[in-house]
Amino acid sequence: MTNRDDNLEDLMRQSLAGDQRAYAELLRATARLLKPFLSNRLRQSGEVDDLLQEILLSIHKARHTYDGQRPYKPWAYAIAKFRLLDHLRAHYADRLRDAEDYDELEEILPDDVTETGMSYESISAEVEKLPEKQATILRLMHHDGYTAREVAAKMGMNESAVKVAAHRAYKILRERLERQ
Amino acid sequence: MNDIEQLIAGLSKDVQPVKPALHPYKLSLQWIGAAALYLLVTLALTGLRPDWHESFVEPWFVAEIATLFALFIVTALSTALLAFPDLHQKRLLAYAPLVPAVLFVAVILSAALADTPPAPLPEHSIECTCSILLTMLLPALWTFYSLRRYASTHYRLAGSIALLSAFSVGALWLRLHEVNDSIAHVVEWHYLPMLGVGLLGLWLGNRLLKW
Repeated sequence: MTNRDDNLEDLMRQSLAGDQRAYAELLRATARLLKPFLSNRLRQSGEVDDLLQEILLSIHKARHTYDGQRPYKPWAYAIAKFRLLDHLRAHYADRLRDAEDYDELEEILPDDVTETGMSYESISAEVEKLPEKQATILRLMHHDGYTAREVAAKMGMNESAVKVAAHRAYKILRERLERQ
Repeated sequence: MNDIEQLIAGLSKDVQPVKPALHPYKLSLQWIGAAALYLLVTLALTGLRPDWHESFVEPWFVAEIATLFALFIVTALSTALLAFPDLHQKRLLAYAPLVPAVLFVAVILSAALADTPPAPLPEHSIECTCSILLTMLLPALWTFYSLRRYASTHYRLAGSIALLSAFSVGALWLRLHEVNDSIAHVVEWHYLPMLGVGLLGLWLGNRLLKW
């Protein structure tokens, strides 16, 4: 393990001197090192690859702040963690905007929008015509009996976003059923 | 992994030799040296307080100047460490300004308690805050300009500590220039604005040091 770590420091020192081969090797080793770190923290593999590219670019941009005298890994992980937090912050800011929509909807919609007097089976054909995510949420909540929180955990969403999606689905369903 | 391979090929193809950034100790020494020189020049231009030989035998005044000077040195060092993504792997030192800050507050509180009967308040008030803010401009600009060439992952904190460092230069200048023994005035118009400047630094760090 120590040899490998020494190797990363050596590769970075050579990279700083302008060695292209060493730099490519260092970036590959860094990508291998960081991939499991990101995979453990993000759900979708597309997200992991996008963020990994962003981190490699940041490492490239900040390489002058590494002097080859201190361990390489903590330096690379500091940049990775910084970019990961930035990514998560942006991600949750989007979800928070969804949750704000939910607050507005709560004021507009009647108190209990699920009390329709209909069974899920009677409208299941309409449910299946909804966008896939909304249909899945309604199926899990009203057919399989999961709570919004359980659906959120199952689908990798937050609870508010699930409720928002469900409310939007109820609205569409109500409009469609009223037209029939 | 294909996109990543492409990115690696692109980045490594054009890689040029890079001069590593200054070590944070050297960087902070540079800042401290320049700020000290600036302080001396400003004092030479505006004049040292005429009662300085009497003031420098007052233990609370000496303690105040000493802790303020320590705050200036330690915040400069901390800012230099915060400029590096990994804080140059000296995390404890990066958060060291807490120590002189606590000492400084303790000294000011003790000086306030010892100020009996209270020294008369000077006639001016906000002019002091404005003078400090004007004096700190140059060191603040220079520090922010240097910081932008680094890669801080703690950009808000770096901005805040950098402004506190610059503010302490201004505060030192005013205490060494102005004839004033009122600790109540000093707390209200010299040091309380420091809190606002620290908050402003958080905002500026977010605006100017994010990369």
